[in-house]
Amino acid sequence: MDHIELSLTQSLDHCIKCNICTSACPVAAVTDVFPGPKYVGPQAQRFRHAAQPVPDASVDYCSGCRVCNQVCPTGVRIAELNARARAQIVAERGMPLRNRIIARSGLVGRLSSGPHAPLVNFTLNFAPARWIIERVMGIHRHAPLPKASTYTFRRWFKRRKPATNGRRPQVVYFHGCSTNYYEPHVGKAAIAVLEHLGFEVIVPPQRCCGLPLLSNGDFPAAQSHHEYNVAQLLPYARAGIPIVGTSTSCTLTLKEEAPELLGLHGDDIRAVAAGTYDIFEFLRDLHQQGRLRTDFRPIERELPYHPPCQLRAHRIGRPVLDVLGLIPGLRLRESRAECCGIAGTYGLKREKYQIAMDVGKPLFDFVRASGQDLALCDSETCRWQISGATGVATRHPIEILAEAYGLSV
Amino acid sequence: MQTLSTDVLVIGGGATGTGCALDLAMRGIRCILVEKGDLTHGTTGRYHGLLHSGGRYVTKDPQSATECAHENAILRRIMPHCIEQTSGFFVITPWDDESYGDVFVANCHRTGVPVQEISVAEMLRREPALNPRISRVFEVHDGSADSFLATHSVALAAREYGAEIRTYHNVVDLVRVGDRVVGAIVEDLRSGERIRIDCTYVLNAAGAWAGKIAALAGVTVTVVPGKGTMVAMNHRMVNTVVNRCKLPSDGDIIVPIHTVAVIGTTDVHVPDPDVFGIEPEEIQFMLDEGEKLIPGFRQYRALRAWAGVRPLYKDKDVASDRDIPRTFKLLDHEERDGVSGILSIVGGKWTTYRLMAEQTVNELARRLGNTQPCRTASEVLPVPRFEHRAHAMVTVSTDPAAQTPHYWLGKPLALVESEHAAGDLICECELVTRDRIVAAIDAGAHNLDDIRRDVRMGMGPCQGGWCIYRTANLLYERRCADGLSHTHANEAILHFLQERWKGLTPVLWGDQLRQARLDELIYAGVLGIHRLRALAEPGGGLVTQHPAIATEYVQA
Amino acid sequence: MYDTIVIGAGLSGMLAAIGRAERGEKVLVLAKGHGATHWSTGCIDLLADVDDPLAGIAQLAIQHPHHPYALAGPAMIEQGIARVRAIGEAAGYPFAGSFNRNLLLPTALGALRPTAFAPATMIAGDARQLRDGRPTLIAGFAELRDFFPPLIAANLRAQGIAAEAAQLTLPPTQRQHDFSPVTLARLCEQPAFRANLGEQLAAYVRKGGYARIGLPAILGLKHATEVVRDLQNRAGALIFEIPTLPVSVAGMRLYQILEDELLRLGGRIQLGGFVQRAERISDTLVAVFSEAAAREQRHTARRWVLATGGILGGGVRATPDGHLHETALDLPLQTPDGRAGWFAPRFLNAHGHPVFQTGVRVDQRLRPLDAAGQLVYENVQIVGGALAGYDPIREGNLEGAAIATGWAAGQA
Ligand SMILES: Cc1cc2nc3c(=O)[nH]c(=O)nc-3n(C[C@H](O)[C@H](O)[C@H](O)COP(=O)(O)OP(=O)(O)OC[C@H]3O[C@@H](n4cnc5c(N)ncnc54)[C@H](O)[C@@H]3O)c2cc1C
Ligand code: SF4
Ligand code: SF4
Ligand code: SF4
Repeated sequence: MDHIELSLTQSLDHCIKCNICTSACPVAAVTDVFPGPKYVGPQAQRFRHAAQPVPDASVDYCSGCRVCNQVCPTGVRIAELNARARAQIVAERGMPLRNRIIARSGLVGRLSSGPHAPLVNFTLNFAPARWIIERVMGIHRHAPLPKASTYTFRRWFKRRKPATNGRRPQVVYFHGCSTNYYEPHVGKAAIAVLEHLGFEVIVPPQRCCGLPLLSNGDFPAAQSHHEYNVAQLLPYARAGIPIVGTSTSCTLTLKEEAPELLGLHGDDIRAVAAGTYDIFEFLRDLHQQGRLRTDFRPIERELPYHPPCQLRAHRIGRPVLDVLGLIPGLRLRESRAECCGIAGTYGLKREKYQIAMDVGKPLFDFVRASGQDLALCDSETCRWQISGATGVATRHPIEILAEAYGLSV
Repeated sequence: MQTLSTDVLVIGGGATGTGCALDLAMRGIRCILVEKGDLTHGTTGRYHGLLHSGGRYVTKDPQSATECAHENAILRRIMPHCIEQTSGFFVITPWDDESYGDVFVANCHRTGVPVQEISVAEMLRREPALNPRISRVFEVHDGSADSFLATHSVALAAREYGAEIRTYHNVVDLVRVGDRVVGAIVEDLRSGERIRIDCTYVLNAAGAWAGKIAALAGVTVTVVPGKGTMVAMNHRMVNTVVNRCKLPSDGDIIVPIHTVAVIGTTDVHVPDPDVFGIEPEEIQFMLDEGEKLIPGFRQYRALRAWAGVRPLYKDKDVASDRDIPRTFKLLDHEERDGVSGILSIVGGKWTTYRLMAEQTVNELARRLGNTQPCRTASEVLPVPRFEHRAHAMVTVSTDPAAQTPHYWLGKPLALVESEHAAGDLICECELVTRDRIVAAIDAGAHNLDDIRRDVRMGMGPCQGGWCIYRTANLLYERRCADGLSHTHANEAILHFLQERWKGLTPVLWGDQLRQARLDELIYAGVLGIHRLRALAEPGGGLVTQHPAIATEYVQA
Repeated sequence: MYDTIVIGAGLSGMLAAIGRAERGEKVLVLAKGHGATHWSTGCIDLLADVDDPLAGIAQLAIQHPHHPYALAGPAMIEQGIARVRAIGEAAGYPFAGSFNRNLLLPTALGALRPTAFAPATMIAGDARQLRDGRPTLIAGFAELRDFFPPLIAANLRAQGIAAEAAQLTLPPTQRQHDFSPVTLARLCEQPAFRANLGEQLAAYVRKGGYARIGLPAILGLKHATEVVRDLQNRAGALIFEIPTLPVSVAGMRLYQILEDELLRLGGRIQLGGFVQRAERISDTLVAVFSEAAAREQRHTARRWVLATGGILGGGVRATPDGHLHETALDLPLQTPDGRAGWFAPRFLNAHGHPVFQTGVRVDQRLRPLDAAGQLVYENVQIVGGALAGYDPIREGNLEGAAIATGWAAGQA
């Protein structure tokens, strides 16, 4: 056991049973099927044993939002303990078909995006079809499923004329599944901003980061994805070229989730993790080094902003507030709601849909009360959840930044 | 003075005495057992938790090894709910003599202790926390066993067969007429009243206290109280018993039992089984030894430390106390000292308690003219009410192994999940529900420490932070109609907190120090228990401060 | 780049941050997580075991010139507490009490606990009122495992209070099980739940003529004052809350109003950020590094406040071999020499355990000193439980000393 592995195992020892996590957990607040982080995390962990039957089931209701990790005064890695426990459940009891499908966002995206996207979208918006999907696959009929794009980001990127003039510093862009198949405009905005800042952007081959697989407990599949991505990204990481992503969950997976949950701690894995940045974290660093252009056009707006759970897990504060705070006129109102409820694929599931909607209610109320027609959030699934629940368009903050730079996307 | 009479008066409510009471009762011999504290108050409640395979004794004490191997199989059968089939490793670390490995295996074969060598890779696959520098690994049939529960099960069966078991009854004198012991004077610690118990035979099963009992009859039995200290770590870093493959010495074994991993032990000669403490060097020594088996051992959280005294019977002069044979001895004082009416059973181990009882009762039965055979090896023991319901089904797991009658680590959690009882946990760390606490109270607990032993309440990381408060209140609510007043409940809390503190101070650092501070915030800050000291007094059927049952002084 | 970064989000840290934010500074509170405010009673203890806390503090300051109270000085104590009270007032969660006379409030065991200021939701429980001879009802729910009316009532009766106990019926709710104090607090904010509770209480009052009713501190998270007012109207008796075991609902409320205030003033809070090392240029602290995914996060500020709360807060940690160290900046600590001197033989020793007085020694401006009395950092101040030489739990000044020193650091 190396030291990271050890620190995860030992982290359960830090628990002093104080209940702070349980009183903050948004899922435990809305349902009694989930006994809360202290119970399912450090407490239950003392009763788990890899070579014996899996003793529990309720941990499956953890959404992975990590509010608990954040408030815990002693540093117990509760959400990670929960994810590992869920993987054991999956290993013993198998994974429902539904989870198998939503956990493979890359595959689903590949099958549904492209020229036939309108048809797929039509089916997904068609109530009887959703009803069948719910019955067969356990995906709740009202759960927000993304609209597939008519083109993929990668295709767009390949066909465009890249900005490679001169000796520009390079940066690698990790787009993730959602940008590729559902929201290419987010990727386009990111490319525009990075190039505007003088970078040459490289988009190496990549697979789904594997987070949906991890959060549904399919660890073996997640591992093969991660190893592929590390192989693709490693040359850049070794050359000191930063890897940036617009999806807070993808970057988190590269940085920490995959290595820790899968117990992968080789030098290569670590090098890629250490070279990966959330795009706003990267921009904030640039600003601190005095390298961020501030030629912003004023945007006179006050917008609601929801820092998603995955961002919380980066433990880097609120880089979006730090960077967008530089735009004259723009005021962001930070949501203090714990979670939108969707937590990746959690809120899609039939038995969890209502929990997710209840969890997200304070956020939805906040967004609606803002009276704005636009909200910001760094995470794709959250954006879909917020838009789905409130009808308020929700965009990635990089799109606003591109707008402030006057870049047309 | 009230007078009772019986055939055999058993002194000592440890594994041995209780086992004897059951065997006597099964054969239809009338008996009363008296114990000065709760059942398992002595060494039985302070042991390491190992169901011996015999491996530890194959070289120095072959007879013990064979006995252990034999009893091991029997106990798995008759008390599955008390035993976890953890298996055990004997490992050769860089600090051990390589050549002992072959000697060990040969001696296992000689003594009938099943053994099999496995590869280091296989060991690391099963126990990734173990030291990868271990060079050889031998697997044996070690297990872990809950001696509290086992003793309660034995006592329950004994009662069902008609034995009378009286806890909190301290033997203060033996009645001798000429050269014959004819009874005992016993003090009921709850009321202070004295009782006389007349009997044909006194069976001295007082473990480390056997010398003191024998002295009451005017005979000398030398029991060397060898104190052994153990440290419980907050979770099981290993799920297999891990022994160093060498001649038994200090800090050479880690036993996973219930939720904890216990490292032990030391062996320090103490003058009196009632007066000993835990020295800081002992703890440091064990952490160092633990580090050899599990790298990073010091970084894990230690929960508490405690010590037990070995009832080692010293026949003749032996070099070191560890050289005293671990096997047991039945002393016939008539033949040995010319005093009849009393037998002493000394030495042995928890694992061999049943065999000790069998041989002792064979002898008593012969003298009493009883010809019934011993049946304790075949009758499965009952499960006390305060334990999980006897045949509670695990509904939450689809694995058929979840329904085994043996204890397994996840079982308490699986039952809580099956019953949706998360919100009803009084002791959250050890998953003890309200129903089980109430059952333990109703079974006659005489203080909170009894409840702790019965159901493990207060044994987890928080060391009673929440559950002492809750349990004391339940105790008050269940018993206030029977004369237990608020003053007794207040005293019960104060007593328990202080008892806990003794076991805590030796291991307070890191998270456990922080926990102790949080517990201080709870009890002194939020609840203000110290402000109720004037409203606290012993009584109400509780025993909290009697000198006869006080053990361990504190030394941090 | 912040003007001030406060490490630790307890009372002392929040007060320091609010003070600096009020002066227009850019302030960040960086903390591992929540802490002692969430565990404690939600009252403001100034000094226990004296009748007049302020006089007691003056006395203490003379006897112990290095005591945090002595360093902060009487003005900071009074102003800091006045500020907290003003924040509470504005948030609709007022505190009542006095600097010169301790209240005596019942605990969840029925002991009487001295405290200087308590939220209005608790104030009717003051023993001086309870002893007026009129009957008091202590009521709870069997489903709540953290509150047991019979023993509370019995202990109160033994102290001259005419208390009786009752178990209420849990009003109908969607939930089937698991009723923690926080869960019940959320339920109490639902009007139907509260109405049912009020009816039950009214029935008890009609039957038993109770003048006051003590309930566990579960009467709402965000709107406690209204919940209590509403229940009083329905029940026809005064109502007071009794704090429960951690997590404490009343403690959460106190934290919440302070967090709201800091955010209102433009301050920022980053939880989940465990500070593990420092970067210095001679005696100036220039940056700290907090633990984060894949690599540390570097934070810079002009000045710093360390409010990590000692052993309880995690700011001081002990190793198995008997060393104590300060976890964030690795500052020198004042500790008992050697592990042998850490503990008293009795858990509830009147003077506590010496190890818990471990902390950072400071100068008059709360800046850290080393063993030789030399200044370690000129731009760092130490507040609250991280300070050496006092035992906030056993002295009964957990909140008072934190607020006083935190406020002092926010002003200087
Ligand atoms: C540190 C340590 C670790 C051990 N680990 C293991 C292990 O892992 N596996 C194993 O098999 N064995 C182990 N043993 C050995 C085992 O614990 C003991 O052999 C066994 O518990 C002895 O049981 P007992 O009933 O003979 O004695 P005890 O349990 O000591 O019972 C004697 C009882 O007599 C009572 N008594 C004394 N005086 C009086 C009186 N005047 N009136 C009434 N009652 C009285 C005492 O209160 C006590 O309860 C360990 C021993 C020690 C010391
Ligand atoms: S907040 Fe942390 S220390 Fe407290 S109960 Fe939860 S896991 Fe344990
Ligand atoms: S990760 Fe979120 S849902 Fe899961 S236990 Fe923690 S707070 Fe609750
Ligand atoms: S979308 Fe969202 S806020 Fe929301 S669950 Fe994500 S990560 Fe949490």
